[in-house]
Amino acid sequence: MSSSTHLLETLNHCLAQAMERGIGKNGLTFPISCEEFQDPSCRCFCENLEQIFGQINETYRLAEALANGQLKAEVSRSNIFAMPLKALQSSLRHLTWQTNQVAAGDLSQQVTFLGEFSESFNHMIESLRDKKSLEQRLKTITDVIGEGIYLVDTKGALLFANPEAEKLLGYGIEEMAGKIILHAIHKQVADGTLFAPEETRLLHAIANGQTYNDNDCVFTCKSGRLMPVSLACRPVVTGDSLEGAVLAFHDISEQKKYQESLHKINALLDMQASTDGLTGIYNRAKFSKLLKVEIARAARYGSAMSILMFDIDKFKDVNDTYGHQSGDKVLIEMARAIHHNIRSTEIVARWGGEEFIIIAPGCGLEQGRQLADILRLKVEQTAFSVPRKITVSFGVAVFRADDTEISLTNRADTALYRAKENGRNRVETEDSPADPV
Amino acid sequence: MKKAYDFSWQDLGDLTAGRPNLGGETSVAIYRLMQFTFKDILSKELGREKTSELFVKAGYLAGREFCRNMLSTALPFNEFIADLKLKLIDLKVGILQVEQADMERFEFILTVSEDLDCSGLPIFGETVCDYDEGFIAGVLREYTGKEFTARELDCWATGDRTCRFVVKPVER
Repeated sequence: MSSSTHLLETLNHCLAQAMERGIGKNGLTFPISCEEFQDPSCRCFCENLEQIFGQINETYRLAEALANGQLKAEVSRSNIFAMPLKALQSSLRHLTWQTNQVAAGDLSQQVTFLGEFSESFNHMIESLRDKKSLEQRLKTITDVIGEGIYLVDTKGALLFANPEAEKLLGYGIEEMAGKIILHAIHKQVADGTLFAPEETRLLHAIANGQTYNDNDCVFTCKSGRLMPVSLACRPVVTGDSLEGAVLAFHDISEQKKYQESLHKINALLDMQASTDGLTGIYNRAKFSKLLKVEIARAARYGSAMSILMFDIDKFKDVNDTYGHQSGDKVLIEMARAIHHNIRSTEIVARWGGEEFIIIAPGCGLEQGRQLADILRLKVEQTAFSVPRKITVSFGVAVFRADDTEISLTNRADTALYRAKENGRNRVETEDSPADPV
Repeated sequence: MKKAYDFSWQDLGDLTAGRPNLGGETSVAIYRLMQFTFKDILSKELGREKTSELFVKAGYLAGREFCRNMLSTALPFNEFIADLKLKLIDLKVGILQVEQADMERFEFILTVSEDLDCSGLPIFGETVCDYDEGFIAGVLREYTGKEFTARELDCWATGDRTCRFVVKPVER
């Protein structure tokens, strides 16, 4: 057999085996040693074949490495079969870098000249750009909205805060991220008492994906200040999965202050409407209202109640002698003296001019008379500015089941009239015997 | 002795007016014809090393001028590179890709495929893209204000399908 025939047959056998079984782990093995051939042409052919077999094996290994994602695999420069794979390797390295860039937020990446892959990748980038654009718009909205916005997970752990939230409560997102709101901003009620976890309806709403509104809530600022806020909580749901909630809130301190001042003004107006401008005790209008209430109470429970009407004796003389200013001073001092000497359950009011009236709940006629006498003595013993001594006369009436406000006060007034008639500085009750005419 | 020539971008001329029929493009073969004949004559006149050095310098000047006139240095780095890549494709210079980037050290491994200078050349066993080395360094110099070196590791002429450059700032 000629050497060339031997070479071709061996080569054919070798290739047939490879075609049948594949190249395998050991690669394509060239079975002949070139040293066997004496013929220079055969020897040269053999050497070239040996080199080609080597390059094929190396290319196969490179392809395997690339298939396994080993992008740093190396191959000899002179390998002519590996050249397209080197281009692929280079593209894959670049794609790896591009993917990392995209992951880091660089959406300027585009893939070119890689056919359908380029289209898919660039389409993905377009989608990410759209998403980023939408996120940017939402961020702009949350930045300028003028409401504090928190995003929390289902356990109430903070994930996001907009600048307004940071401004309102003083916490930066980096120091708040991951903190449960119950341990940070939503831990106290308005009086400063700490919440028990089960008491917070907000946390309950967050955990259960419920809508929740609270216009009388407080958040704890970083400074420790309790900020009254109006709060809206809305669940965040992706598909069927509850992701957490968005909390939108704004400071209602000014609103609260306004409400408080409104309360104060109303209370002042109410007080002005119900008190006597000179003496500071209830006026007649307020007294009428209170008397109606007490009459209703006495009628309902069948309890006793007396009315004590009294008048400063010879008050006209005080005005004429010392002037009206001094008269007013006497009225003020009188109101104070009486007010200090009655029970908290008893009500005193200025009836008009120098006349005053007292409601004594729980007092029958005799107890009313005794109270009137005590007060009469107290007045007599009180040192007024000018004149030093002032006396008063009392008329006392007791509530009857069919009494109205008018009938009751009329009887007290009649008794007072009698006290005046009978010499002043005395107490007369409605059942006192009429004076002999 | 004549005064040395100073390149100016305007010296590229008004191609619309000057080539109303043929336009602004020519063949890669003609470009290479000019470059390789320059290389032939210069290497024989000045030696291979000096010729390489001159090509790097010319590429550097071209890179700076290209950046100044064709690119926006106001762009952030990632967008600048994306813009550069698109411009090089549009102008059919090559396909620029980044394989590695160390943004702290500002060191990169860049590749250029289908390169104007070398893709499709026979395998010479050595890199030939001296002009590209200078061009890359010039572009980055103009963008960053810092000097860079670009050294070609792999080239079509060394048996690779892409030209691979290691780019580093010049340490002072």
